[in-house]
Amino acid sequence: MGRRRFLQLGSLAAAAPLILPAKLRGAAAPSNLIHVAIIGTGNIAEGHLKTLLGYPERVRIVAVCDVDRERRDRAAALVDAAYGSRGCSSVNDFREVTRRADVDAVWVCTPDHWHALIALDAVRHGKDAYVEKPLTFTIEEGRALVSAAREHGRVVQHGTQHRSMKRFFDAAGYVRSGGLGKLERIEVAIPPNNRFIGSSWTPEPIPATLDWDLWLGPTPWRPYHSAGCHYNFRFIADCANGQVANWGAHYLDIGQWALNADDSGPIAVEGHGHFPTSGLFTCATHVDFTCHYANGIPMSCRTRQDGGGTVRFIGERGWIDIARNAMSASSPDLLREMQRPGKSVTLARSDNHHENFLDCIRSRARPVADVEIGHRTTTVCNLGQIAMTLGRKLRWDPVTESFPDDPVANRLRGRAARSPWSLV
Amino acid sequence: MNTPDSPPSPDRVVVVGAEAGPNVDSWSQIVRLEHGGDGSFAAIIREQVGRTPVAGLAKLEAQLLRALADPAVTAAGRDFLCSQLALVGSAAAVPVLGRLLAAEASADAARVALERLPGAEAAAALLAGLSSLSGRARIGLVGSIGARRSPGARETLSRLAGDAGEHAEIRAIATRALALLRPASTGPAA
Repeated sequence: MGRRRFLQLGSLAAAAPLILPAKLRGAAAPSNLIHVAIIGTGNIAEGHLKTLLGYPERVRIVAVCDVDRERRDRAAALVDAAYGSRGCSSVNDFREVTRRADVDAVWVCTPDHWHALIALDAVRHGKDAYVEKPLTFTIEEGRALVSAAREHGRVVQHGTQHRSMKRFFDAAGYVRSGGLGKLERIEVAIPPNNRFIGSSWTPEPIPATLDWDLWLGPTPWRPYHSAGCHYNFRFIADCANGQVANWGAHYLDIGQWALNADDSGPIAVEGHGHFPTSGLFTCATHVDFTCHYANGIPMSCRTRQDGGGTVRFIGERGWIDIARNAMSASSPDLLREMQRPGKSVTLARSDNHHENFLDCIRSRARPVADVEIGHRTTTVCNLGQIAMTLGRKLRWDPVTESFPDDPVANRLRGRAARSPWSLV
Repeated sequence: MNTPDSPPSPDRVVVVGAEAGPNVDSWSQIVRLEHGGDGSFAAIIREQVGRTPVAGLAKLEAQLLRALADPAVTAAGRDFLCSQLALVGSAAAVPVLGRLLAAEASADAARVALERLPGAEAAAALLAGLSSLSGRARIGLVGSIGARRSPGARETLSRLAGDAGEHAEIRAIATRALALLRPASTGPAA
């Protein structure tokens, strides 16, 4: 993005509202639809688009945004085809939708390094936001987003949809209710990073359809390479925290839920990782860290080479192991008990992550994966990443969100953004 | 949403122990760092930065500054060294970083470090940068000044927030930064 273009957008006044946003329309208005913009139209967004197009009575997708013209135009065509119209805007710069008066909510589906700044701009301009996991890239970004959401009274749902799946609801409630007896530990397994192009790489010409400067945004500048852009960004440490924040965000989130740590977190973390010493992909290829909680329960997160993600709860009565598509246990009785209603601890219930968010946009209630919950889970991912980077045990204060005795670790809670971006 | 990941074939995974690396002086090589080139020297220094006890950080900082002063240092090398100073730098790094901040080509690299450095010296260097930077770099600089939440920046931020001659984005950032200085509106200290 050239300077002139940026400066133009920096002064962007809200476009004249051609369509009244839902918050200005009466509940009985015939066109009382939630107007949504999708920011980032890659593979994660495809699922959201198709789901949202399934709610024509509740949602109208009015804009899609992506720095890749081919992707955004394809998404806009999909939306227009579904609605039988040509009304879906297709824009390059997220500020063209976060500052649009007729947008009620945004879906943030960009690479991780953009989540915070886009969501912040959205909530500051009165939008509710569904933010894909991980909520943010750094701990400081997460706290800033929570603060802004509260200050502006916005609904922010973290895209950890396991919170809206019955088996995870059952498992967390079962553990919280003492179903396993005394809980001994939690073990999260995540798949390995699965991309490799070599220990060196040669920069490539930027495709004419891609705004590479805006794709990079706040992350340090680097030349373009096709293997380091869409999807694979998650294995580049300047952009993301690898599978720790990809799959780990889902399963660590359930651990946090079961530990009743949605507004707190661990008090110490330790671990080590195998980091590639050269090449485009710099996230740990083998992850192994453990968070320690004030109640004495450790939650570990490790790479497994033989399967996908899972969370296992181990207690004095046995263990249960819950994945998105499978469940197992030390005894079938435990799984049967787990799925029974009437537990002593009742957790917030949602059967559908999208509908929960849409309901909360109307009710202004906090969603099942509220921004604070998302921030605390993402912080666990960050703590693991920091502990592996430093290779030493770190004490963590979840109240002040700081490392009490490690100044270097404290500086890793955030980072300065590339110009002209900032967290402020 | 679904993240379609299949396990890798073991022979295509780079698993390199943190202790690995060529037996050469990484400090002499780091100045030649290029995007896409051999990153192993940077990895070794990055590990040193992470693993050095507090008592050894001053010596490490001096090594980083010596490398940064090498006239042969590449842009990628400079950026990397500044990113490490962001973690272990002190007031001793401020004069060098302040000079880099004044030049548009190196302003971002310097600011990446200065924003994270504690102390009045780093705060003063960032404020001083306002006299030389314009455009994107200036907007980023105001963001860094705001991110530090330093009460000493209040007067400057107030002036920027109210200056019609400044870019709208600068005025907006300065206004938000002032709000962050009010104790009631802040979260945990950054």
